[in-house]
Amino acid sequence: MEKQVIGKNVEKIDALALATGQPVYADDIKLPNTLHIKFLYSPHANAIIEDIDTTEAEKLPGVHMVLTYKNTPQVYHTTAGQGWPEPSPYDTCMFNQHVRFVGDRVAAVAAESEEIATEALKLIKVKYNVLPAVFDPEEAMKEGAPIIHEENPQGTYDAKRNLVAHIEVKAGNVEKGFEEADVVVEHTFETQFAQHCPIETHATISYLDENGRIVIRSSTQVPFHVRRIVAQVLGIPVSQIRVIKPRIGGGFGSKQEIILEEVCAFVTMKTGRPARAVYTREEEFISSRTRHPMKITVKIGAKKDGRFTAIKMYALSNTGAYGTHGLTVASNTGSKTLPLYNKAPNVEFVADVVYTNLPVPGAYRGYGATQGYACLEQTVDMVAEKLGLDPIAIRKINHIRKGETSPIFEALGEGREGVVQYIESEAVDKLLELGAKEIGFYEKWGKKVRNGSKVRGVGMSLHMQGSGIPKIDMGSATIKLNEDGSVNVLYGGTDIGTGLDTVVAQIVGEVLGIDPKKVIVYPSDTDVTPFDKGAYASSGTFISGSAVYNTALKLRDQILEVAKDMFGEQDNKDYILKDGFVISPKSGKRVSLSEIAYDTFYVKKQKQIIAVGSFVSESSPPPFAAHFVEIEVDEETGVITPIKYAAAVDCGIVINPELTKGQIIGAIVNGIGYALTEEYKFGENGKVLNPNFMEYRIPSSRDIPEIVPILVETYEPTGPLGAKSVSEININGPIPAIGNALYDALGIRLGSSPYTPDKVLKALKENKDKEIF
Amino acid sequence: MLKLKNVEECFYPETLEEAIAILREKGDKAKVVGGGLHLTVFPNPQVQYFIFLDNLGLNYVREENGTVSIGATVTINNAAKSDLIKGFFNGNLSSALSLIASELLRNQITFGGSVAQREPYSDITTILLALDTEVVYFDGSEHTEKIDEFFETDFRAKLKEAIIKEVRFKKFDSSYKFGMERHVRNATDIALLNMAMLAQIEENKIKDIIVSYGSRPMPAIRFKALEDFLKGKDLNEAVKEVYSFAKENADVKGDIRRDEQYRRELTGVFAKRLLESFGR
Amino acid sequence: MKVHYKINGKDYEFDIHPGKVLLDILRENGFTEVKGNCYMGTCGACTVLINGTPKTSCTVLAAQVNGAEITTVKGLGDILNPHPLQKAFVEKGAVQCGYCTPGTILAAYALLKENSNPTDEDIKKAIDGNLCRCTGYVQQVEAIKYAITLLKEGK
Repeated sequence: MEKQVIGKNVEKIDALALATGQPVYADDIKLPNTLHIKFLYSPHANAIIEDIDTTEAEKLPGVHMVLTYKNTPQVYHTTAGQGWPEPSPYDTCMFNQHVRFVGDRVAAVAAESEEIATEALKLIKVKYNVLPAVFDPEEAMKEGAPIIHEENPQGTYDAKRNLVAHIEVKAGNVEKGFEEADVVVEHTFETQFAQHCPIETHATISYLDENGRIVIRSSTQVPFHVRRIVAQVLGIPVSQIRVIKPRIGGGFGSKQEIILEEVCAFVTMKTGRPARAVYTREEEFISSRTRHPMKITVKIGAKKDGRFTAIKMYALSNTGAYGTHGLTVASNTGSKTLPLYNKAPNVEFVADVVYTNLPVPGAYRGYGATQGYACLEQTVDMVAEKLGLDPIAIRKINHIRKGETSPIFEALGEGREGVVQYIESEAVDKLLELGAKEIGFYEKWGKKVRNGSKVRGVGMSLHMQGSGIPKIDMGSATIKLNEDGSVNVLYGGTDIGTGLDTVVAQIVGEVLGIDPKKVIVYPSDTDVTPFDKGAYASSGTFISGSAVYNTALKLRDQILEVAKDMFGEQDNKDYILKDGFVISPKSGKRVSLSEIAYDTFYVKKQKQIIAVGSFVSESSPPPFAAHFVEIEVDEETGVITPIKYAAAVDCGIVINPELTKGQIIGAIVNGIGYALTEEYKFGENGKVLNPNFMEYRIPSSRDIPEIVPILVETYEPTGPLGAKSVSEININGPIPAIGNALYDALGIRLGSSPYTPDKVLKALKENKDKEIF
Repeated sequence: MLKLKNVEECFYPETLEEAIAILREKGDKAKVVGGGLHLTVFPNPQVQYFIFLDNLGLNYVREENGTVSIGATVTINNAAKSDLIKGFFNGNLSSALSLIASELLRNQITFGGSVAQREPYSDITTILLALDTEVVYFDGSEHTEKIDEFFETDFRAKLKEAIIKEVRFKKFDSSYKFGMERHVRNATDIALLNMAMLAQIEENKIKDIIVSYGSRPMPAIRFKALEDFLKGKDLNEAVKEVYSFAKENADVKGDIRRDEQYRRELTGVFAKRLLESFGR
Repeated sequence: MKVHYKINGKDYEFDIHPGKVLLDILRENGFTEVKGNCYMGTCGACTVLINGTPKTSCTVLAAQVNGAEITTVKGLGDILNPHPLQKAFVEKGAVQCGYCTPGTILAAYALLKENSNPTDEDIKKAIDGNLCRCTGYVQQVEAIKYAITLLKEGK
């Protein structure tokens, strides 16, 4: 049947509220008697708190509580918001006696105002036993390196070597594969620390409801994990906590973490008063979460005809002072990249995830795949060059196709074994064709068009990601019918600005044949909505949306039963739902959903038409994307300017084109920042030197090239109405695509991101020097 | 959150005399406020008094008898969007101004504040140096000093008891060309190196030239050695030679943002590009 | 000290600590549509119009603009009666998380008051102080262009 609302640009249902400044974010409410929380941070990268004296601070008028490791629950947990049991080490308490990076939490003050709390921080006297620190993961793994987690946390691989995780996955025999190859290329690339920079920083408010239960209103991506972990840390039952997710001002993974909630809840629990903690921008940079910097080495062997014989990837991941998403991000580095080139029969992935005394990486859009592709997609280009093939040709020969599988799917999950899966929707060749055409790749590649000191180059990269975590991620929904034919959808899914609530309204509208405006969506409130794992792993549409879809089908069945009764017919299999009506095509009889509701509420056989449903996936069907970029490099200054960026994306059936484009473009611009300008600068002592927007540069409206998102639809049979996912994949493109374009323009490859102008000039000079000799 | 917690009183003087009197009386604890950016972004909790300049009528951009005057409280956008400034150097000055920082900050950064703070990364000071600007300040009586000379004195000490009234420069005729180069990490960044040139070109010869450069990372100064090197040279010859000379003689250092080598390289490149632009 | 502002057309008097910045005064008094907390003028989420000029309220001393006319996004339109710019942002997918939206809309509004026929470059320049991490700006520029047509049609 023709789609009614799927594929339409239905307006984002909360967009008008947001554009008119409605008070819908965490910190937009003001509760009387709120205690404001401010944190004291460690000035040392590695130290034990020998003594901490809070008596002066506690005496300051207006101060109600000073928290340290001495008076808070010493319950080891993970701050990572993941499914249970969490695939991350339980390596931190709310406050630790051992502080492990400059910016680690030492104490907190809860006071009548932010100003008083800040004053009180100065009165806290701390005596540190400063320990040697280690900042380099390779150094940290060596014998004799400072042991960062001497308590040997549950869930680490080998804490004595600072190893949170060690991953080894093999299929076939790569050494044999390299021997059989005609060419072998090895390339190493290093990606840097980065921050998500959500424009709304972490913000949490907690308070007691009228029955004395703790309510947490937080800018979070994972309300249900927050509830579970706060309960764990405070030692109270889950039933005593309610978590509400209001509108979120961006997350990108930084808010897939329990950072402020347990502290606020503890203060509320002890004082009975509302507690508020809002990170400053500086705290957001230093003391929230970052992206795992990784050093990736990829080795590819290939035959003359272009077919890969072996791919080996080694990822050295720096997971900073605490383990959080260390294991799962590193798993993704291999699991979301290597299957792309399944024609290689021999594959090996090894990763080491290492503690260092640096700010803590966590989940960040792309989740390890970004780092993997940064190296992989440039290595593939290098292989192509050696073989005399163009970048697109070599990928056409080796990429995974519909109906195929890869041993990596089964071997590498997220912290546990993965899941066998076969590709059921794919259009990579089409993506390559359309992207190449949009950029004019074949016309421009190798031409090095020059305009004075400025040279043009084109580059491309190919990607896959996933849609949710198979056999782990679960979402659910409840849908009920109202008198006017509208429905309430209560679902656990977590729209963090992505527009998931709108997608849900469209899915329900499609199944029930009603205008999405008649779908009232109430999301992620742990008291009211059924469970959802939260916003991560590109799972909104695929997991939460599927749950809603399943539930809508159940509701539809109930509606059709009542309609059949009302029509006095025997069989409702071919009934149609359209424009708010149920229609029996055979008899032409019709009844509105509104009439059905009135009837079932008030008149006969009374009941509430309501359905509940869940969804967990057997597989994680990958979206695919082919990225093409044209850049201009100034040979004299080293400045790289992206001119045009095209991304051809297959995310299955597109439910809302405008929202989908928004995800694509937003991810690309974030990726461009990551490729060209974003980086942390550290002092010798491990202190972050640039924790603000003046020095950590993210793209502004004046920094974007022409961006062309190209939507290529496929039908994913396991997805809701044929959809897959789209929110992460496109951030993976810019580093390798621009890297490949730089090579096209100037014949140089940088070994690390970001591609700053001074690096480009240095590489150019080295290249010239090489040529002379 | 309140950072300037010791501020007790605010003053809105209507004449410069009034303003100076308050400044003299309150001394070190008083701060003269132009745009207010410096005070709010780098708050000094010692400050007790604000002396706001908004009522002194210093937001004019005007020309009189061949002299252009820009009042101290004029913002970058006020100047950039004014017809007078747009008319100079084929619009080059206006466009150079409109690329600095972001729109929201261009509406707050003032000429007076830029001179008084002399931030090392200031683009305004680089521009004013190139335009052979005079600073007019008032400390009970009016003083006029060339900006490069002003900066060579202990101007911060002077400004403890004085207020900048305006900056002024000659209305240069069409034989003068102006250009500016800035190295930034991305569009709305502070400059990590900037350079401005004002040159009088006649019959393809550099009759007169001023070169200023800043964010070296030190504050902007005149590049006098380069000026002497270029004066009187044929423009085409100068273009060929200036890169090496500028690079070799650049007084630049490295900092956390860019290293010395890179700044040195860019000094040469900028000098060459600016001269090239004068030939077009 | 006492300060007076005309906020969105209505007169207000507040008793403030003279060292405070405008952002804090506004949020403390219920104008939660003004957002942000970088306190360096770098993110733009706190943008308001002060006598028609867009500025970051986190870097404006509340005492300095005593007597000024201040416009927040609610001064343009509200949920029942949105301004064409607000409608355009909604229609063109320019709103994702929405946190930068009020500030960006105000910057766009100021541009259109000054220049009713801006180029794409003019538009990008006008909103270059409003950082957005969600949209990548493309749909924001489209929305502003669309708003121009809406305004011309008298919507």
